[in-house]
Amino acid sequence: MRDIFTIGLLQNTLRTATPVVLAALGIMLTDHVGIMNIGMDGMMLCGAFFAVLGSCFLGSWVAGLGAALACGLILGLFFGLFVIRFKSDEFIIGVALNIFAGGLTVFLLRTIFGVAGAFSGSEALPIHALPRIDIPLIGDIPVLGQLLSGNTLLVYVSWLLVAVLYVLAFHTPLGFWMRATGEHPESLRAAGVSPEAMKYLASILCGLLSGLAGAHLSLGYLTLFAENMSASRGFIAVACCIFGRSNPPKVFLAALLFGFIDALGLRLQSVGVSSNLTSMAPYVVTVVMMVWVVQRGRRRRLGQGKLPDT
Amino acid sequence: MKELKYLFSFPFRKKINLGYLFSLTLSVLLALLVGALIMHLSGHDPAAGYKAMLSGALSTARSRGDTLAKSAVLCLTGLAVAVGAQAGIFNVGGEGQLYLGALASAAVGGYLSGWPAWIAFPLALLAAIAAGGLYALLPGWLKVRLKVNEVITTIMLNSAAIYLCKYLVNGPLKTGERGISAGTVKIGAAFAFPKLIRLSNLTASIFLSAFIALAVWYLMKRTATGYEMKLSGQNPRFAGYIGINSGRLMLLGMTLSGAICGLVGMFEVFGIHKRFVEAVSNEFYYDGMLVAMIMRYDPVGIILMSLFFGALKIGATGMEQIGIPSEIVLIVQSIVIFFMAAENGITQSLKERLVQRRARKAARREEGAA
Repeated sequence: MRDIFTIGLLQNTLRTATPVVLAALGIMLTDHVGIMNIGMDGMMLCGAFFAVLGSCFLGSWVAGLGAALACGLILGLFFGLFVIRFKSDEFIIGVALNIFAGGLTVFLLRTIFGVAGAFSGSEALPIHALPRIDIPLIGDIPVLGQLLSGNTLLVYVSWLLVAVLYVLAFHTPLGFWMRATGEHPESLRAAGVSPEAMKYLASILCGLLSGLAGAHLSLGYLTLFAENMSASRGFIAVACCIFGRSNPPKVFLAALLFGFIDALGLRLQSVGVSSNLTSMAPYVVTVVMMVWVVQRGRRRRLGQGKLPDT
Repeated sequence: MKELKYLFSFPFRKKINLGYLFSLTLSVLLALLVGALIMHLSGHDPAAGYKAMLSGALSTARSRGDTLAKSAVLCLTGLAVAVGAQAGIFNVGGEGQLYLGALASAAVGGYLSGWPAWIAFPLALLAAIAAGGLYALLPGWLKVRLKVNEVITTIMLNSAAIYLCKYLVNGPLKTGERGISAGTVKIGAAFAFPKLIRLSNLTASIFLSAFIALAVWYLMKRTATGYEMKLSGQNPRFAGYIGINSGRLMLLGMTLSGAICGLVGMFEVFGIHKRFVEAVSNEFYYDGMLVAMIMRYDPVGIILMSLFFGALKIGATGMEQIGIPSEIVLIVQSIVIFFMAAENGITQSLKERLVQRRARKAARREEGAA
């Protein structure tokens, strides 16, 4: 037991939770405007690949991050164009986007880097990872310091974004408009704000966040790109968004829970539990949590004397 | 007797949607064009690439057999998607159901290897149906009873099932045979589907696949249940008013979908691998899903389209031989979906523009007259 529950477990929790946090925040924004973004997994995968591409060929992590953001921007626009302009089924576009991303990244991996499976940098083309940031004073505090200091850049960015997006969504007119787009687009139109513009804004922001999530995967959490490395995290992020009822701090907590289970699985592997069994855990827990959250919601509605929705 | 007549009547009794056919052809051509562009940009010759694809898919008896076998898989997985979608429930978890069906049937086939085939084979068939069907029933039940979004749960259950199978074949169910890193005991030699073409993946399972495809088409298009599924899938509230139990139909659609996926898994094991191996499927279900989505869950369309996509998939191995990564096919396929999904929106806006232009012209003419 003492080997399992260590400070390293909590450190790993933060590291593994971060891509889910970033992705879930993006999904939350599209959820606010009434779009369900199933394609997040593929968007993250593309982001992870372009982060490595930028980092290798332009020779710095800043370029990697920039490439991931640019990729996210394009994918967000693309998603928005199809779902908003062409009124396509968001579910179909999402699924197609995931398959497209899986195909494109492997195709490019093999064409550009000439390897199949994974690319972890070579002598000629090293991957420049995101920097770790040591916070001077807090870093000296015994336990807390180990947790709060020395993380990679995007961990801090994700924390900051939770706060920023909370304020944006619930304390600014823009956030109010976005949520109104999801709940009552016609009222918003009557008030002189275009719901379509809000939807585009949300998909673009979602794309940018997917880029950050991908960049953290391939330049922060690991320093490599592997086939299908997003490993359904985009879908877990959708689940987190549902658990957190599209409220940033709650979404953050849900993502931390998954980070914890992921990290616990890694830790259990070191004491001899099969890696295949521990890998199952986050997915099973997601299903259980989905059921629990939905059940709780139903009870609450019943408690208020309302009929459950049919 | 009347039923029989319907069964053999030509499937396209209603008018074929010509506009749809046109945009489908256009989408496929455009997607192939984009594929050519990507090949050109990555330094390959597109013409040589497509030529290699064509010969890879159709040049020899073996490749033709492989193409047909691949098409059967695409067709069944596509129909599995469609049968759920018709009842208004999306089974995204076919991959997991396929794995479990494969594992369950492989276990039965392996442990009963000394038994006569006429007992063991049907038992393996049942095991595959039960494993796939029950594993789909779970998210279906959660959706119907508790309103838990089935898309997320089925995706999660995919990964869970795949890891579970990997655990089992590396642990409790691992064969003691030398040289097999991760696999179950070999199934009895008498149970395996005989190969129809030497060296190819085409086995006698193709007949069973064809039968299942026909049965699913019949259920979806020619029975009252199928019609009720369609009604309740399109408008559950209306279906409820006229006394259709939508929940029951969703469960039926989902369970059937899972059972079909389980059978696909079994066909892979009993046809090709002769035991459960970790690589029993390579995202087969997602390929089938693409086919189903492109054909808008229409069974006849899925059956025809799976032939084309099967040729693309097997053709990709031919491209691989001249150095073009086979993933180009995934890109082309998903681009077809993008075009088809946008088709409605694009034609709508084109029509609107046409109407506007006509109106403007008419207005100008009136002005001229006045």
